[in-house]
Amino acid sequence: MTRSAEAALLLGAATIAAFGVALVNLARGDGIDAQVALTFVVMAASFGGFHIAVRQWSPDASPYLLPLAAILTAIGFVEVYRLNRALASLQRWWLLIATLLAVSLLLAVRRSGLAPLRRYRYVFLLAGLLLLLLPLLPADWAFPLRGFEQNGSRLWIRLEAGPLRLQFQPGEIAKLVLATFLASYLSERQAVLAAQTQPLGRYRLPELRQLAPLVIAWAASFVVLVYQRDLGASLLLFSLFIAMLYAATGRPVYLATGGFLFGAGAVATWMVFPHVQRRVSAWLDPFADFLDTGYQVAQSLFAFGSGSLSGSGLGLGSPDRIPNAPTDFIFAAVGEELGLAGSVAVIATYGLLVAVGFGISLRSRDTFRKLLAGGLSFVLGLQTFLIIGGVTRLLPLTGITLPFMSYGGSSLLANFLLLALLARVSHEERT
Amino acid sequence: MNQPIRRLAAALFVAFALLILDVTYLQVVAGPRYRADDRNPRVVASRTGKERGLILSADEQVLAQSNADPNNLQRFNRSYPEAELYAHLVGFSSVNFGDDGLELVYADDLRSKRDLTLSDLLSALLGGDLRPKSIQLTINHGLQQIAYEALGNQRGSVVAFRPDTGEVLAMVSRPSFDPNVFLGSQAIAAREDLLADPDEPLANRSTNRTYPPGSTFKVIVTGAAIESGIAGSDTLFPDSLELELPGTIEVIQNFDRQVCGNGTEVNLQTAFRRSCNTVFGLLGLQLGAEALALEAEAFGFNLDTPFEIPVLNSVFPQPADFSSDLPALAQSAIGQRDVRATPLEMALVAAAIANDGIIMEPMMVSRIFDADGEAVSEAEPELLQRAVSPSTAAIISDLMERVVASGTGTRATVPNVRVAGKTGTAETGVGPPHVWFIGFAPVEQPTIALAVLVESGGEAGENATGGSVAAPIAQEILAYWVQRNG
Repeated sequence: MTRSAEAALLLGAATIAAFGVALVNLARGDGIDAQVALTFVVMAASFGGFHIAVRQWSPDASPYLLPLAAILTAIGFVEVYRLNRALASLQRWWLLIATLLAVSLLLAVRRSGLAPLRRYRYVFLLAGLLLLLLPLLPADWAFPLRGFEQNGSRLWIRLEAGPLRLQFQPGEIAKLVLATFLASYLSERQAVLAAQTQPLGRYRLPELRQLAPLVIAWAASFVVLVYQRDLGASLLLFSLFIAMLYAATGRPVYLATGGFLFGAGAVATWMVFPHVQRRVSAWLDPFADFLDTGYQVAQSLFAFGSGSLSGSGLGLGSPDRIPNAPTDFIFAAVGEELGLAGSVAVIATYGLLVAVGFGISLRSRDTFRKLLAGGLSFVLGLQTFLIIGGVTRLLPLTGITLPFMSYGGSSLLANFLLLALLARVSHEERT
Repeated sequence: MNQPIRRLAAALFVAFALLILDVTYLQVVAGPRYRADDRNPRVVASRTGKERGLILSADEQVLAQSNADPNNLQRFNRSYPEAELYAHLVGFSSVNFGDDGLELVYADDLRSKRDLTLSDLLSALLGGDLRPKSIQLTINHGLQQIAYEALGNQRGSVVAFRPDTGEVLAMVSRPSFDPNVFLGSQAIAAREDLLADPDEPLANRSTNRTYPPGSTFKVIVTGAAIESGIAGSDTLFPDSLELELPGTIEVIQNFDRQVCGNGTEVNLQTAFRRSCNTVFGLLGLQLGAEALALEAEAFGFNLDTPFEIPVLNSVFPQPADFSSDLPALAQSAIGQRDVRATPLEMALVAAAIANDGIIMEPMMVSRIFDADGEAVSEAEPELLQRAVSPSTAAIISDLMERVVASGTGTRATVPNVRVAGKTGTAETGVGPPHVWFIGFAPVEQPTIALAVLVESGGEAGENATGGSVAAPIAQEILAYWVQRNG
């Protein structure tokens, strides 16, 4: 596929977003207004800018990444617009900011490549842990950067300087930073970790000193779980650590140990935290306590069921009945208004995007880049699976965002940076 | 290193395949169920504000209607002009709680089909009628009002049938509630209050509560005795102060702890008229559990009663339950112990005697008609089952007429009308007795059969009897009906 074909597809995605907005307007009897043009312009500027930056500074990058991400972003934006126009206009700003950051990243590494990321790995480890812990900042101290709680989870920080108020979920960025650290650390230590020289009865373990990152991983995700009460982010981080350890060493024992640790942690939290028990019982039977714990998931199931094969049409369903529809439950809105056709198309698009990411990883000759691309693709795919599985009741609900589609600045920003990193890896592997 | 990465990718693709299977299940396989679920706000939204058909009484009184919303001509507001009077029958169609009663059972007919779906547009093109249909009940509005007022503020029920067709003429349960409150903005709070009320206004006592039938059950015992040839009107029984129950020191006494007749011997006719427990306890023992249970089932006990709204089964214990408990058999023969009946069932017992021993299927919807007034379907009377032979029915009818003429039921007397009946005063073990009257009129050509139940003696309390509390209520209802319908 050529760069021009990529540009055409990106333009197509912007057009789809604009048409979607027009359809939502018509469904509400509002007529075509400036929103349609504004959406087209912002989408085209955002993906056009990203495209030009890739052309300029990573010309050999895979041409498949951006169009797939663009169509997901476009569909997500239309649903956010349909649910809440105020959020949609904020989302447009986030889209521009996210693009700006992604472009800056490409610009920054245009000469040096990804090597500095590899070199300063302990800076990334520290940064990652700091980001994870930021929301634990006191909510009421004098310093304008404060942590706070929302929907029962302490995931947010807020920067307040005069009239400016910025909210952010640092955990979204933390997963990129930690993936970078792990790729760097593991690419160097993989031989030692795979060696398994320490005897333990019939089994052989690697040197205990080398297991330090695993312990840190477990500790970090446990801190997130206990202090921030966030199941999704915790599971995501922990799985990322385990998956990358496995990818680097090829030793299934890490998967088994990780699985065991997570299982034990899950059972323990289930026993200790009532909110985890509520989540699980709402998962097992959302209709048992319909008006309380099961309400969210039940409303999501009603939305999917009402969508049927072809959906109600954009703007013609009632996805606004689902609590948290623009963020966690955006996929249920897609399921209702675009039907099975739309929901399967979206899942398939995520599948393609993840496949492109893994393809980049598999073709990489350099271990660091291979692990980085693999880890980022894995975390993208797993996050998608966890939240879609949560809203379709395949899994217990974990409050995380759907990459590219959910409303939210942090999520959009993190995933655009992820795209830029993948693009850069694929560029470096072809030159 | 590519091998483990491939495996990770493969694991994610399996997970994505599961997601696709899952949405397919949700949207296609389980989809229709979720689309139709009453708790789905889309279902409720599509229903509220839509026009629904009328519900009318037999004499065209409007019981439920939809009026155009004055603020929005596209919307309709449901209302129930007769409020408490028909609450347990008509039910309601509520945004918060879905449909109930006839509003639920006939929802498909009552609802407008206009919802702009493709299949409806198609059916309209093919000449289908999308307008809501209306239903007409067999209930007579005047009689329903009389019955409601006659019960007064006492907890209880009145059920009245046309014996030869099974049409419900009146069906009242008190206390009642105003179904309109389920439609308003205070619906949830109103329902909480109704649920918390110890008098249980939401319960339909006519069909969904069972009570020991007491002496009204003697009608069935008499049927069994006559049909089996054990006794006739003139058969003589020992007239004792008490009946000793086999194997215990318990005894059955008559209501006033007196003998029934002259103290030596009494015939069945007198025993029935004066409701002698000693005689009927003995008769129960003579008949045996098998015969009693069969006769109770012939009258509809232990059987599902077909009706437009759900009916709780009335219960007569299985014969095996009595094999080692003869005292219980004797007590069951006077309608105590574990015998339980709904007021609807006891009204059917009266109707069976009035209709030469045949029970007609109870029904309260006579026809469904479209927006042009054309009948879409009309209900035909259906035979349910035979309770007793015509000759047995005639004998019992005569016995029951004597109860009103000179027995325990004199207060049901209607001047110049031959009224038949049987009283019942059922001990509950705790608190005042439940009191009954079942009967029919006019005896020569019955046009109404009824059961009246007053819970816990009503306002009379401990002193209440079927003859003093329930019979006068029946009298008002029978007098009103016979005056107008001969």
